[in-house]
Amino acid sequence: MGRYDIAVIGTGPAGLSAAITGTVRNKKVLLLGSKDLSLKVTKAHKIANYLGLPNAGGEELSAAFQKHIDEMGIEITEDKINAIYGMGDYYVLQGGENVMYEATSVILATGVVAGKPFPGEEENLGRGVSYCATCDAALYRGKNAVVIAYAPKEEPEADFLAEMADHVYYIPMYKEEPQLSEKIEIVRKKPVSMERDGSKMKLVTDDGEILTDGIFILREAISPKQLVPGLVTDGPHVAVDLQMKTNLPGCFACGDIAGTPYQYIKAAGQGNVAALSAVSYLDELKRRSK
Amino acid sequence: MLKEILNDNLDEVKGCEYAVVDFNATWCGPCKMMAPVLDDLANEYAGKVEFFGCDVDENQYLAQEYGIMSIPCLGFFKNGEQLDQSIGFKPKQVIAAWIEGHLN
Ligand SMILES: Cc1cc2nc3c(=O)[nH]c(=O)nc-3n(C[C@H](O)[C@H](O)[C@H](O)COP(=O)(O)OP(=O)(O)OC[C@H]3O[C@@H](n4cnc5c(N)ncnc54)[C@H](O)[C@@H]3O)c2cc1C
Repeated sequence: MGRYDIAVIGTGPAGLSAAITGTVRNKKVLLLGSKDLSLKVTKAHKIANYLGLPNAGGEELSAAFQKHIDEMGIEITEDKINAIYGMGDYYVLQGGENVMYEATSVILATGVVAGKPFPGEEENLGRGVSYCATCDAALYRGKNAVVIAYAPKEEPEADFLAEMADHVYYIPMYKEEPQLSEKIEIVRKKPVSMERDGSKMKLVTDDGEILTDGIFILREAISPKQLVPGLVTDGPHVAVDLQMKTNLPGCFACGDIAGTPYQYIKAAGQGNVAALSAVSYLDELKRRSK
Repeated sequence: MLKEILNDNLDEVKGCEYAVVDFNATWCGPCKMMAPVLDDLANEYAGKVEFFGCDVDENQYLAQEYGIMSIPCLGFFKNGEQLDQSIGFKPKQVIAAWIEGHLN
């Protein structure tokens, strides 16, 4: 597969625009996302303020985007990126089924994710709160843990954890009846917040508290901090400057993920800026290595 | 390659002025990603900071003793005492800045 110059993550207006500008500037671009582009585009009813396409419907705008990338020969690699690792002078992107991509620079254009972290969640990450049961299960030998899961597909993770831990409480955040090993105790309560309590974690629910060694939160949406470890954020957004630079050299962000207002044309504009910044970054690296 | 800690024995770390201990495990994906980054840093800081690898399955006592709740986890040691931890995968530049912050 080789190393790409620029990996663009997201196929909304921000990511598409970034991929187009990167391609115009002759860089080797990897565009990751969905063949359906973005639901936030297709689902819109009437769009009054996109330059050049007055009162377009969402489907129409999406078709126009598709035509543009087709004409430029830009292809979409359909994959969901779960983690982006900064290795020094390049990045490794981990896709579904552990496919790894390499790129010298990265443009984040993943849009905003709904759902806020629980109070106390981010402060205790790695200190009693974890997002990956298979990663940290072995550290819970002889201990107990709470799993908060947002979809039935997380059930095997809880089963795996239960093989190591003494006791596992499972809080399903969905309606279906969980199919879990008998060792696991299913708790139908609503988590409210979490905090440290001496060497334990205290989970506050709408119906009492649970004292535990660790809390695992397994949800579909990936926050920017989780996606790119080490990234500096500003609330739910990635902190960027006017060049769309993040705190990590070679990593840029654009569109909704870079902050409000949430608008198509602003996303497309920022995608353009991010791509040009990535191009300067690549040129600078090349000059320095000479 | 980092020096491996075996049998819960931290004596060599305790003998260093500055040391970074990488708590990891063979089944941990982010730990694997961290390995080449730490190899690079070990070369860049050779003679200043010593780097060690510590498999938490092989060294369960140490993992417990140093409060490892999540891996990868880097411990920064000065004269044998753990001053700070850095939890989770971190980009190379971020780890380098973290190390710099603890030197002298
Ligand atoms: C119903 C509705 C109507 C709207 N009307 C208007 C309007 O009239 N005018 C206007 O200007 N704005 C409007 N907006 C706002 C607009 O939709 C957003 O500002 C815009 O879509 C943001 O573009 P984006 O490229 O930043 O992100 P998005 O369009 O959200 O695209 C993000 C893309 O990233 C992909 N992605 C996310 N995570 C990953 C990952 N980990 N790996 C791979 N791919 C990933 C997603 O699949 C998606 O393709 C409307 C929004 C909605 C919901």
